[in-house]
Amino acid sequence: MELTDQEAGILRSLLDEMATLLDADVPEDAIKARLFPPASEDPQQQATFAELTRSDLENEKRAAVRDVREQLGPRGPVVVDLDDDDVGTWLRLLTDLRLAIGTRLEVTDETMAAEIDPNDPNAAALSVLHWLGWMTESILERTTA
Amino acid sequence: MTETTVAPERTDVTDDDEAIEPDRPWLVIVWNDPINLMSYVTWVFQKLFGYSFEKATRLMLDVHHKGRAVVSSGAREKAEMDCFRLHAHGLWATMSKSD
Repeated sequence: MELTDQEAGILRSLLDEMATLLDADVPEDAIKARLFPPASEDPQQQATFAELTRSDLENEKRAAVRDVREQLGPRGPVVVDLDDDDVGTWLRLLTDLRLAIGTRLEVTDETMAAEIDPNDPNAAALSVLHWLGWMTESILERTTA
Repeated sequence: MTETTVAPERTDVTDDDEAIEPDRPWLVIVWNDPINLMSYVTWVFQKLFGYSFEKATRLMLDVHHKGRAVVSSGAREKAEMDCFRLHAHGLWATMSKSD
């Protein structure tokens, strides 16, 4: 994975935002609801599932943020070789970032497929969303499950 | 997915319903969302369930076109674990008892 100074800088700040979001003290919102979706419509079943899994899920997502943040280093461009474990970590992390941004922008199939309108106030965030998707695709192209 | 409209068949199994209750498997369902990439969803199905590329792609397309697909089934504990792993990978998964 090769990132320019600017790209690495964007990714670092997204990771810091995600680390803050995953903090247990941040109240539940639409983004958290998407990162930790209910596994059942049955409230009792869902409560059991959340009790079983929520803290482990949070820890896995925090660990992915921490691991990638370490690989990015404090500043400057980044060149990092991804081993098999790294591939999984990066893909999960990039997905969580995309879910957070996409949920905040309330994207639909239509907005995801459309060209970005430069006058759209969300144009910059949409560009980042697509860039993270491009990174995901490029990692997938170089790997097999 | 569960449009059972043939009454006689339902009647046949009603008496045994309780007896077979423990054996009815739980289904793990993945739902469509506008954010996750098709290639990524296929990769997750291959990685988590060991499915072939062809099977994983078919399931991904079912999710994409039909809005959801059953991706695994089994005992409650397995369904919970599968939901957990799918959520860890950012997919929107639920579990329910099969009809």
